[in-house]
Amino acid sequence: MASDTDYDSDGMRDNGNGGSSEGNGRRRRHPMMTWRNNLRALVVDNGRICRIMESGLLDAYGVEVEAVGTGEAAVELIASGETFDLIVIEMFLPFMSGPETARTIREMGITSKILGIAPMYWEKDAQEFLAAGIDEFLEKPFTPELFVPFLREIDNQK
Amino acid sequence: MLGLGADRLRADMNRLLALLFHQGVLDEQFLQLQQLQDETSPNFVCEVVNIYFHESEKLLRNLRGLLMERDFSDYKKMGIHLNQFMGSSSSIGAKRVRNVCVAFRAASEQNNRAGCLRALELLENEYCYLKNKLHELFQIEQQRVLAAGARYPMQN
Repeated sequence: MASDTDYDSDGMRDNGNGGSSEGNGRRRRHPMMTWRNNLRALVVDNGRICRIMESGLLDAYGVEVEAVGTGEAAVELIASGETFDLIVIEMFLPFMSGPETARTIREMGITSKILGIAPMYWEKDAQEFLAAGIDEFLEKPFTPELFVPFLREIDNQK
Repeated sequence: MLGLGADRLRADMNRLLALLFHQGVLDEQFLQLQQLQDETSPNFVCEVVNIYFHESEKLLRNLRGLLMERDFSDYKKMGIHLNQFMGSSSSIGAKRVRNVCVAFRAASEQNNRAGCLRALELLENEYCYLKNKLHELFQIEQQRVLAAGARYPMQN
């Protein structure tokens, strides 16, 4: 059962509803980086603060972001036809875990770059997540130093 | 003369921030948070930090509630709360709180109830200190904004 801290809502633009996606709502007037291509990212994190920061930073770096709070919502979004260049998945999601989410997405034939993130680096978790099909396992916080190289790689390959 | 109050308050803010960085209470991630504030979201930092406070206090209540149970044994549930606390703390740059969560989680993985209780007390203290200092920071910022916006009647 999901913790009741996961889905609080208040006046902020991120309402933490794991069952629906939140677009980033606002686009920064002056992104910190610009890309040759339009880059889209999906953030999958049940932690509201984490979701806000991960989405906010990607948005600040010129990426169009959708954010959801559960693996199920991510799978549903992708199954509906939405495409993403980058998918960021938290390890410890409620119900469908991060590795289960990554595995399901890969089984759908999605070849996008997938980054797995966790509050701390644990070898056992990293191995499990990598075996499920992510491209890289990262320890939070999700910082530009970590994600910009992946965005560059994606932009160059498009 | 007008700008001096705002300038002095900005200096106070910078001094407080420098102290919090020096003490290891905050790390560079807090600067990332500040960078996300712009004209489209002028209160972003304060809003995010307030959500962090709200969620953290709920997590602390949950953790204390678990440990106070007479027959407590659900270390897995404790781990879930701690993962969330670690993640949110690291995401806003609350370094010391995050580090205490790491130690707390280690105790919980060893099913060490006494260790968990000690870690919880430390966590509550660290969180309290962080909250007080961030409130102080926001108060100074509010005063600075007011001082910067103060107007005097035009002299003919």
